Amino acid sequence: MGLLDKLSVWLGRGKAEVTVLVLGLDNSGKSTLLNALRAPEQRVAHTTPTVAQQQEHFQSGGVSFSAWDVSGAPRHRALWERHYRRAHAVIFVVDSADHLRLVVAREEMELLLAHPDMFGRRVPLLIFANKSDAAHALAPMQVAAALCLERITDKPWHICASCALSGAGIADGVTWLARQLRDGLVPTQHT
Amino acid sequence: MTRWLDVEVGTDDIDLITLPSNLALVDLQNDNEFKLVVGDLGRGEEGPKLKVFKGAMQISDTILPDLPLGVVGFSINESMPRSVPLIAVAYSSCVYMYRNLKIFYKYYLPSSELNMCEIEVWKQLTNPSYHNIESLQSLTDSLGAIPHKLLSPQSQNLLDLTPDQQLEYLENITDVPSKKNAEIVCITTLKLHSIEREKSVCILKRDWPEGRILFNTDEHIIAVEVVTADNSVMVICADNTLACYSKKGKKQWCLTLEHRPVAMTLVPVLHLGVTLTAVALATGHVHLYDGKARRDTIFVRDLVSVMKFGQLGQEEHVLIIVTGGGNLMLKILKRTADFSAHAAGVQLSPHAAGGQRPWLIPKKSKLFLEQSVRERENAVSMHQTFQHELNRLRLLAAKTLLEAHVKSDNSIGIGPMDSLRLTAEVEGLGPVFRVTLIIENTSKEKAVIGLAILFHVHTINYKVSNPYIKVPLLSPGGKLKFPTKIEEVFDDQINPDVLFRPVTGQGGERSLVKVLLVKEGKTTPILAATVQMPPTDPMMLPFDKMQAAAGLESNEDSNWFTKT
Ligand SMILES: Nc1nc2c(ncn2[C@@H]2O[C@H](COP(=O)(O)OP(=O)(O)OP(=O)(O)O)[C@@H](O)[C@H]2O)c(=O)[nH]1
Ligand SMILES: [Mg+2]
Repeated sequence: MGLLDKLSVWLGRGKAEVTVLVLGLDNSGKSTLLNALRAPEQRVAHTTPTVAQQQEHFQSGGVSFSAWDVSGAPRHRALWERHYRRAHAVIFVVDSADHLRLVVAREEMELLLAHPDMFGRRVPLLIFANKSDAAHALAPMQVAAALCLERITDKPWHICASCALSGAGIADGVTWLARQLRDGLVPTQHT
Repeated sequence: MTRWLDVEVGTDDIDLITLPSNLALVDLQNDNEFKLVVGDLGRGEEGPKLKVFKGAMQISDTILPDLPLGVVGFSINESMPRSVPLIAVAYSSCVYMYRNLKIFYKYYLPSSELNMCEIEVWKQLTNPSYHNIESLQSLTDSLGAIPHKLLSPQSQNLLDLTPDQQLEYLENITDVPSKKNAEIVCITTLKLHSIEREKSVCILKRDWPEGRILFNTDEHIIAVEVVTADNSVMVICADNTLACYSKKGKKQWCLTLEHRPVAMTLVPVLHLGVTLTAVALATGHVHLYDGKARRDTIFVRDLVSVMKFGQLGQEEHVLIIVTGGGNLMLKILKRTADFSAHAAGVQLSPHAAGGQRPWLIPKKSKLFLEQSVRERENAVSMHQTFQHELNRLRLLAAKTLLEAHVKSDNSIGIGPMDSLRLTAEVEGLGPVFRVTLIIENTSKEKAVIGLAILFHVHTINYKVSNPYIKVPLLSPGGKLKFPTKIEEVFDDQINPDVLFRPVTGQGGERSLVKVLLVKEGKTTPILAATVQMPPTDPMMLPFDKMQAAAGLESNEDSNWFTKT
């Protein structure tokens, strides 16, 4: 593939939006995290628990994201799988100070990875160990161990600590995701 | 497949000895993060303590003045914003309230002065000179004359003894009753109180002077739970049975457990509509029953001391187990867990399938009751209002229907039917032609109904396969096509002229087909079109008829046909 072709694909890629699913238990900070990615003047002061889902748009590393913020309440979690098919990437948010529910987060992630619409697809998985500022928050490595991330073989994954209230750590994670999508998607388009 | 997720609990510093009534799940900080509050009885040197857990992590430790007998959390008012919930800890004769884990209120149950007669009797009772059967008899008689509920527990006990035992008791007695202290047996915020005595379950209600015995069991009761849905009472007994009694005290059913039960708790799973009964056995198993049917078994590997199920932290369905060794175990019910008979692999006996389980019918709400009262009081006016509204609705429906009907009624007499267009296409070489009629409704807002197409032809000349076609509703701007076969008919004597029609281009009168567009209820057609049928190609003429024609003509010009 010539340089010009590559360039045009890159430019084309920059225009098209990739769909990213933002998942995680209720109260993990998904909406707060997406709020932090907005332009400062568009941010809301307080997030309320999401009902059903809402859509957000942001850009990073030359990639436009269309993010689906899905409610994490137990009775809405069954709706996650409806979005799996169209997802190009998944952001999984974990409350790293909620030790009790780490097992629940692990269970939900296992269900996600085993779902027919997800299993075996090379969908980049970004995990935010959120609320790193909270008392007794676990380090990202501990969260990774609790979620058994080392067992994931079919997807590239990355975990990083974040504080959705201050915005710390979010940019790092999203940059990784943008790079994965660029590197991962460009070749597959031409094969 | 297990239905439970195990939460890892650091076992090192948790050492709990407690009672089922000493566990409470309270939203202590009003942040929807429920904490586990445990009244710990203490062990050895360590005195009783109130311990608060956030998830599996202990976050506070308060020393208690006495052995706790019950712990409950409650909020004073339900109005928003809600105040911080209080914790009430019951001791033998007082209740302490804690707010933010600091003592905030102490309540001593009223102690009452003893009856003068009783004090007099006791003065004599403690005098050794009265310690013989006869004088004792008269003294106990005078005690018995005092209303039973006014007596101190000591006097009550004395009256229950045989004369010999009474003598022995009085020999050893050191202190005389002076005050009567009420004793707390249980503390709860439930409306229905039930407490267990040796082998019977009593029911207490506010304003009742004393408990009423609901039922008796054969063996010692280990635990009692009241199912809120139907107020039935679940009991586990030392004879290894789990029994269910109705609220009237009638035994519903009883089943024998594999081993000695040690603890019980109810497991209400609202989204599945079931309330399970968890029974822990001495073998370290916990069985979950839906009514009589066992739906799940958890092996906890340790002797259970206390179990409780409810919301902990943000998680609604947590089974909390305190083991005999003082450890804390937390098990979270999976979101996908299913306790239906099918999922549990249980064969429903026809008996159980007969709908023994009561339906989950919600309590009549205040709103419902108010509405029903209103309905009873204003039945007539409500009925009238309803009928009035119903009639108005009918009128509106009729008006709308009429309007739609008028709009779609394209009577030829009133308005020109210029909104309809009829065109025809003829295809084919003959003698069978395909005539396609296209009806178009050019109007923007009127639909047309009740149309039909009628072919008007001379049956000697043409045969129409479908001379009458009903046209379905034609929506505004709609267009419908109706293909029909029209066959030219040749009689046995073919006029030789027909063979020259392609040359002259003259079909003559007989080649005209009239198409009429008629409408239901109208005596005159709305539209009429005349289609000039093309002549049939001579090469397509039916051969036998051609032969016949040729035969006829051969008389005059015998070689004409073969020449061509
Ligand atoms: N301390 C701290 N609090 C956070 C952080 N992120 C979110 N929160 C708080 O967590 C609470 C829940 O945040 P949301 O963003 O509404 O959670 P969510 O994941 O969208 O929840 P659902 O919409 O119910 O699924 C809010 O009160 C946030 O202020 C963080 O990084 N640190
Ligand atoms: Mg949200």
